[in-house]
Amino acid sequence: MERRLYRFASLLILLAAAGASRATDWEVSLDTRLVTSDAYPSFMDGGLGTVRFGSDDSGLRLGRARFAVTQPLGEVFSAHLDASVFDDKDRSALGVTEAYLLFRPYPRGGYRFRLKAGGFYPPVSLENRSSGWESPYTLSYSAINSWLAVEVRTLGVEGTLDWLGTRTGHAFDLGVTGGVFGWNDRAGVMVASNGFVVTDRQTPLFGRLGQPGVRPLNGAEPFMEIDHRAGVYGGLEARYLDRAVLRVLRYDNRADPTAADSVSHVLAWETRFTSAGLRVEADHGWTAIVQWLGGDTTIAPPSLTLNWPFQSTFALLSKRIGRSTLSARYDRFAVQTNAPEVYGAQDGHAWTAAYIFDANAHWRFTLEWVRVTSSSENREEQGGPPLASETQWQLAIRYALGSAIR
Amino acid sequence: MRPPARVSCSRSATLVGRALLPLSALLAAALPAVAATLVVRVQTPDGHALPGAVVTVHPLEGPPRHATPVRAVMDQVNRSFAPDLLVIPAGSTVEFPNSDSVSHQIYSFSPAKRFQLPLYRGKPYPPVHFEQPGVVTLGCNIHDEMLAYLLVTDAPWYGRTGDGGSWSAEVPHGHYRVELWHPRLREDESDLRRELTVGDADRAELTVRLSRSPQPAPLTGRPHSWDY
Repeated sequence: MERRLYRFASLLILLAAAGASRATDWEVSLDTRLVTSDAYPSFMDGGLGTVRFGSDDSGLRLGRARFAVTQPLGEVFSAHLDASVFDDKDRSALGVTEAYLLFRPYPRGGYRFRLKAGGFYPPVSLENRSSGWESPYTLSYSAINSWLAVEVRTLGVEGTLDWLGTRTGHAFDLGVTGGVFGWNDRAGVMVASNGFVVTDRQTPLFGRLGQPGVRPLNGAEPFMEIDHRAGVYGGLEARYLDRAVLRVLRYDNRADPTAADSVSHVLAWETRFTSAGLRVEADHGWTAIVQWLGGDTTIAPPSLTLNWPFQSTFALLSKRIGRSTLSARYDRFAVQTNAPEVYGAQDGHAWTAAYIFDANAHWRFTLEWVRVTSSSENREEQGGPPLASETQWQLAIRYALGSAIR
Repeated sequence: MRPPARVSCSRSATLVGRALLPLSALLAAALPAVAATLVVRVQTPDGHALPGAVVTVHPLEGPPRHATPVRAVMDQVNRSFAPDLLVIPAGSTVEFPNSDSVSHQIYSFSPAKRFQLPLYRGKPYPPVHFEQPGVVTLGCNIHDEMLAYLLVTDAPWYGRTGDGGSWSAEVPHGHYRVELWHPRLREDESDLRRELTVGDADRAELTVRLSRSPQPAPLTGRPHSWDY
């Protein structure tokens, strides 16, 4: 499948190159960070740190190098590709975070249908609304959306039907979404092993978590199909003018927790969650977001059923003043378990504050402070303290170029 | 109240869009010999002036009159229509150039005029004709945040209230129906209709105070890279 995806990605790039004269939109960006952190090593380094950069990562780092292209294919189809390098000490080369075909026929009689096929994020986040699934408010995403970035993606199809009330004299739009997907049978490994984190590293499709041979993640691949059962999700969205969005989604990867991969013998993780969020925007640049996610993940090796319920909530407040954006966010998160020695149990909260200055369309400067306080059974097992506070400062400089960036 | 937002338009488009309207209204009104100044004021429930409201004036007696069709332009700049509201007489044409560096795909499924302008940049399409009176809501099939309105009218006098919330025209003495419209108004259509007689005086005034506050104006200043 991985090979198939890369063939698909190559095809998209070829199509983009061939159709370059026909309205191709593209974007490249380079995001570098000056980091100072006192955190434990991150999950990519086999640690249980709750932020992206551990204390060993302090210094100059690559935040993200990104290339994205959107190519219209005829009148109502388009291909989208988003590829990035996150510089995990050369553990992941260029990876594709999203690649999909979009079918968007013209609306008719107040209704509009959209169909996506490929690899992309399910419609959960109200925070990651910038290109490249980035947040325009902070560098690091909330615990909820960090988890999605690490191990949740739709590899399948998603259909959305919208009633465009705002186009027919009403103040509301309503939408219903449904998705069918595969290759996400290992979603849950991360939340059960490391718990929630506050990061902005997006696992590329078919990418790995951590390093092979290094516990606890052991190079886990979240995007695997093990039991050949499709997962599903369904959601609703309501919008009030351009000011408020309410989004609810129920997700179930329908993995068979007793199934194991025939080659690697890793187990499928049955992961289900419900998410609900509200984003309100007001005059004078104010934005408020509250989002909740609750679910559980289960594996059932022979004669055992291990279960990890998890919950997270965040509230974000942001204010835009000219070229500056000031944001603050409070996250709460918890993982419980019936596993021996309460393996994977976690409880914590995080504060994030960020100041973004958009000098112009190309240059963006961000200063961000994150402090995560958490208790973690696994960290204690590794010889760390059960309760710890980790602080990460980042100064980011991003340069972007693109067909729409002037 | 602010005028409809997203009118961050190019100067040429604004000039064409705005200049044509009073001109046609004047042409229609210039015919009769005996005229009076009709002033229409629109106020919000708390008494503030409402700029940007569309005023149309239909004579209820005498021979049928129609305003002269116009050629208007509605540009697309910074992923917004510019202007985002035009009022035009039936039979007019509107050109929809795209001055952005990204492509747009314009549609309307409004009963008054259904049309689509397939994916384009620049000015590849001829102007679109609008024959049937009514509201035409325009959108872009790629950029959801783009929203604009055309009010196609068969009224001989029409225009929009200015910053002071008033609009005026020279009309002959007679009996008239005055209608108001704005995409953000929440009243029933019948509550936005008034009849009045312009008598012997050289000035007639009509003040309409809305019973419900208009919907909030579209937000401004959001980065265009955001999904809607």
